[in-house]
Amino acid sequence: MSIGHKSISDNGLRNPAGAYSIQCRDLMKSFGTGEMLTVAINQVSLEIKHGEIALMMGPSGSGKSTLLAMLSGLLHPDSGKVVALGQEIWKLPETELERFRLRHCSFIFQGYNLFASLTARQQLELVAEWGDGATKKEARKKTDEILCLLDLAKKGHLQPGELSGGEKQRVAIGRALIKCPDFCFADEPTSALDWAHGEQVIDLLRTAAHKRGCTVLIVAHDARIIPYVDKVFYLEDGKLQDSNPEGLTRVFGHQTGTGSKPEIPGHDAQTGTI
Amino acid sequence: MSYALTILWYDRQRYLPGVLAVSFSALLIALQCGLLLGLFSITSLPIDHTNADIWIGAPGVLSVDLGRPIREATLARLENQPEIERTEIYLQGFSYWSKSDGGTELCMVIGSRLDENALGKVNELTKDLYEKLEEPGAIVIDESDMERLSIKAIGDVAEVAGNRVRVVGMTKTLKSLAGPYVFCSVTTARPLLRVFPDQITYVLGKCKDPADAKTVVARLRENNNFSAFTSAEFSFRSRWHWLTKTKAGIALGYAAALGLLVGAVVTSQTLYSATMASLKEFAVLRAMGIPKWRMQLLVMTQSFWVGISGIVLAFPAVHGLAELADRLGVRVELPFWLLGGAATVTISMALFAGLLALRSLKSMEPAALLR
Repeated sequence: MSIGHKSISDNGLRNPAGAYSIQCRDLMKSFGTGEMLTVAINQVSLEIKHGEIALMMGPSGSGKSTLLAMLSGLLHPDSGKVVALGQEIWKLPETELERFRLRHCSFIFQGYNLFASLTARQQLELVAEWGDGATKKEARKKTDEILCLLDLAKKGHLQPGELSGGEKQRVAIGRALIKCPDFCFADEPTSALDWAHGEQVIDLLRTAAHKRGCTVLIVAHDARIIPYVDKVFYLEDGKLQDSNPEGLTRVFGHQTGTGSKPEIPGHDAQTGTI
Repeated sequence: MSYALTILWYDRQRYLPGVLAVSFSALLIALQCGLLLGLFSITSLPIDHTNADIWIGAPGVLSVDLGRPIREATLARLENQPEIERTEIYLQGFSYWSKSDGGTELCMVIGSRLDENALGKVNELTKDLYEKLEEPGAIVIDESDMERLSIKAIGDVAEVAGNRVRVVGMTKTLKSLAGPYVFCSVTTARPLLRVFPDQITYVLGKCKDPADAKTVVARLRENNNFSAFTSAEFSFRSRWHWLTKTKAGIALGYAAALGLLVGAVVTSQTLYSATMASLKEFAVLRAMGIPKWRMQLLVMTQSFWVGISGIVLAFPAVHGLAELADRLGVRVELPFWLLGGAATVTISMALFAGLLALRSLKSMEPAALLR
């Protein structure tokens, strides 16, 4: 099913196939001053290719969410640069950056953050109308397609209170995908879900990356996600550690990109711990 | 249904205080203004309940009950206007009523011609009553003023400005404000008002086509020896004079401002807290680059619907309370323009409250969702 994947030339930006869609160089971010100064991100450089799904892991407080916020144009770094679709985003004026996010970025958060009063369908239509400037009819059509894709066609009339956690997160994914973004940033999208639902969510994000060309960056603790992603970054104390597949396989015992649950001795498939 | 309305309906309990606050403001404004209009319509009763199109009085006359004597010859000035069908003289003024128990009471004497087509005769005077008023010294008062004038029954006598008068009948709906109305013939009225035989208070005129009244009045105003008004102008002038002279307008302004202030604060806080409750959802939209004005418009649309809901609740209550007041003998006038004005003011207040509530969106921080 085609959901209107944006071609590279549609973006009007230099973004040759296979090239990195997002890169950062020497990103630094600290909070507080003087003795209270905490370095959250320290000289981080990374890149993700167009249509790739990447996972950022690391212990609590390692700076994963801060890095995600800087890569997605939500938090200004102290130094370093982020180049997305050929544009150095932190050099853009505020309004241009906002427009960049409108055209290219979507987000999925741990807490769903759905309007309690709106139905699943309305959550998506609102973004299509307000974000994409779609007419009511266009928004309805797009929403129908996404709800089908998410296996929520029969639940479009339900409000979040009537949906399960997995369904709510799928609605949140639908809300993120309805504007056909070039980037989808997901912060702990599976942490509130059991693995069956979590796996469903990761599958959907993988499909968005591989079939629709969306660059997906997931921040998560759950090592069970590793087989489903193309690339893993490991962050510790604000510094990027060994992020090549071999290194991570050594750490977690999982291989990236296999797309199925591997049988690893000592790995608890239910909790994801090693 | 719009998103604003959907959210409003879903969260109706949260928005209810705001709706009630708007409702209270609309009720307060409409009822206060209605009460004042009802009260001061009494002063223009001699204009509103008679059939003249044009009133001519002393220069600079402020209100119909404050007329000063003018020469009867003024009648000719109006008669000479080609648009005029007929004219007549009219007397009105304050006098003193001596009660049978020895006290005195200020009263408003109205002397007019008394026939079926008379211009200055109030419509409530039936044929039977105005025929009785032809008798010298005969007067008609309103039932509601009997106690005030110490009158027990028709046929009772009293004194007005030292002249003996006899009550020959009563009206039922002509309540008075400053002094009870005393209706009589022009002949009876002259001694009661102590005016000279060639003096009158007003000249009344009827146009062949009532639409010509404004043209005639404009022409007559070129003469500085008298004031000329259409009946609608003079009625408004009389009410306005009493509204401003008694400072009742200022009291109304204070009460209405207070009502609006309370309404604005409660509505604003309601919208503020409702918006704050959805701040994370708004922050997601902001993260996705959806412009802030979309959320601002949503809050403003909500404030508009809160205003509309408040008015929808208020107006039946206003009519109910006006009906109750009427049964208690207090007149509340609720013309369409007053209700429209009250609705406009309260919706503006709700929109202002919406503007105040927009400050909640300032604390919307998309990056906070990632901490």
